[in-house]
Amino acid sequence: MTDIRRADVLDPEAPDTADPRIVVIDRDGEHHRLDWEPDQSLMEVLRDNGLPILASCGGTASCATCHVFLDPRVTAELGERCEDEQELLEETESFDTARSRLSCQVERSTALDGITVTLAPEE
Amino acid sequence: MSDKPVIIIGSGHAGVQAAARLAELRWDGGIVLVDQEETAPYERPPLSKEMLKSADPTALSLLRKDTFYRDNNIERISGRPVRTIDRAARQIELAGGVRHSYHRLIIATGSTPRRLDVPGADLPGVHTLSSHADALALQKALTAGSRVTIVGAGYIGLEVAAAAAARGCDVTIVEFRDRVLSRVTSEIVSRHFESLHRSNGARFVFGAGVRAFEGDGRVQRVVTSDGTSLDTDIVVVGVGVVPNQQLAADAGIACDDGILVNPHCQTSDPEVYAIGDVARCLRDGEPRGQRLESVQNAVAQAITATNHVVSQSCEVKTEVPWFWTVQHGTRLQTAGLRHESDDIVVRGSALAGKFSVLYLREGRLAAIDTVDALKDFVPAKKLIAAGAALDPARAADPSIKLAQSQTDIAQ
Repeated sequence: MTDIRRADVLDPEAPDTADPRIVVIDRDGEHHRLDWEPDQSLMEVLRDNGLPILASCGGTASCATCHVFLDPRVTAELGERCEDEQELLEETESFDTARSRLSCQVERSTALDGITVTLAPEE
Repeated sequence: MSDKPVIIIGSGHAGVQAAARLAELRWDGGIVLVDQEETAPYERPPLSKEMLKSADPTALSLLRKDTFYRDNNIERISGRPVRTIDRAARQIELAGGVRHSYHRLIIATGSTPRRLDVPGADLPGVHTLSSHADALALQKALTAGSRVTIVGAGYIGLEVAAAAAARGCDVTIVEFRDRVLSRVTSEIVSRHFESLHRSNGARFVFGAGVRAFEGDGRVQRVVTSDGTSLDTDIVVVGVGVVPNQQLAADAGIACDDGILVNPHCQTSDPEVYAIGDVARCLRDGEPRGQRLESVQNAVAQAITATNHVVSQSCEVKTEVPWFWTVQHGTRLQTAGLRHESDDIVVRGSALAGKFSVLYLREGRLAAIDTVDALKDFVPAKKLIAAGAALDPARAADPSIKLAQSQTDIAQ
C-alpha cells in the first residue's frame, strides 16, 4: 500500500519554489514536494508527510527501515556515516555506497535545500 | 463523512500508528484517537535511554509533529480516560459521561509497570518508569551522589542504572534471578552487560527479592528477602509490566494476561481490535499465544488491524519480533524469540566487546542477539524469517558473512 494522501504530487511544469523544500520519489516513482521544517530529521519529514517508511526505531539508527538514496554529491557533503548506520546499510539488499543513507541520521542544513530523495525498496 | 468512526483508545506507538495508517488508507468514516494523557503522543524508548541523561528535562520526542493529526483529519481527544465500552450500543463512555459511537474500536492501552506488593511500596522516592511524567520525576531525583537502588535487572532497570551512573549516582541493582536480562537473553550476553555495569561502578545483589521498603516519610532502606537492609535515597522498580486490559475485561472481552486476539488482532468481539503491549495474539501451534512489548510489534499489529478494518484483508504480515537496548553506549539488538533449549553459537568475541549470539533450533536460526555488531542484525532477521538452516562452524566465524553460513542455499 503506497497510497499517499498528504504529500502534494509534484507538477513537473511548476517553477521551483524557494527552499527548504525537497522532492521525494516514492516507491511507485511518484514525485512529492515537501517542506523540511527546522528540527526535523529527514526521516521525520518523510514520516510526518505520510510517506510509507516504518522508521520503527524512532530514529536511533537501529533498524534500517528509513533507508533512502541521495545524490552522491549530497552524500559527500554529509560526510561519513557513523558506524551503526554504515553496518545497517551495508547489509541491505539495495545498498549503494555512493547514495545510501539512513534518513533518520540526516539533519537539516542549508546544503540540503532542494535535494531529491528516493525511498529505497522495502527490505 | 464520518459515519463509520474508528475509535482508537491509547496513543502510544500502536495507537498512533493505527491512526496514521487509517489516514494513509484513506479511511473517511472518521478517525478518533482518545488518550488519558494531555501531552501530544510521544516516543517511549527515549524515556529510559536518552531522556534520563539529557540536560533538557522537558525534551520529548513526538511520534508525529503536532499538525499531523489535524492535517490527516484525525480527531484527538486527550486528557480523558475511557470509563466503559458499551459493546451492545457500540459506544465508549469517557470520564465525565460523554459517549462516542464507533464502527470499529481499536484498544491500544499499553501496559503499566508491575508494582511490588510489599510494605512501603507506595513510599515517596519509590519510582517506576513508563510515562513522560515518570521520566521527568525520575530525572529530577537522580542527582549526583544520591544512592539509587534498582529493583529488577531487565531492560528498564539496566537502562535506568546506566543513566543514574552517568549522572553520578551510587547504583545498586537487586535482581531476583542469578543474572541480568535473564528473561531475554543467554548467560554470555548477561555476563557481558553485568561486567559493563560493574565497570561503571554499579553493585549487584543477585538471588534476592524485596521484602519491604522502609523509611520515615520517604524511602530510606530496601530490605531484601534474606533480611539485608540497603540504605538508599531513591528506588526504581523495573520488574516488568502488566497489560492494561481492565477496560476490555469489564466489557466482557476475553483476556488472559492480555486481551486475546486472533492473527488479525480481533478480540472475542470481532468489531473490537487490540494491538500493542496489551494484546496477546493466539496463533496455531502456540498454546498460550504471545504478548510482545516492543515498538516493532506495536507498529506491525497496528498495520495488521487497520488493514483488516479497511479491507477485511486476511493477509497477516508476520514480522520477526525485535527489541533493542542501549546501556553505557553498548547496544544490544535482539531479533526473534529464543528458547532456553536452543543451541548457542557465539560469533565474534565477547572480550573484544563486539559479538553476536545465535540461537539455533533444530539447526535453524530462531533468534539472535547482537552486541555492538549491527552488521549481523539485518541479515539475521531475514534468515530467521526464512527459517534458514545454518552451519554452526561457519556461523561462528565473523569473517564469513552470516548469510553465507546458510546450509540450504547450496543444495
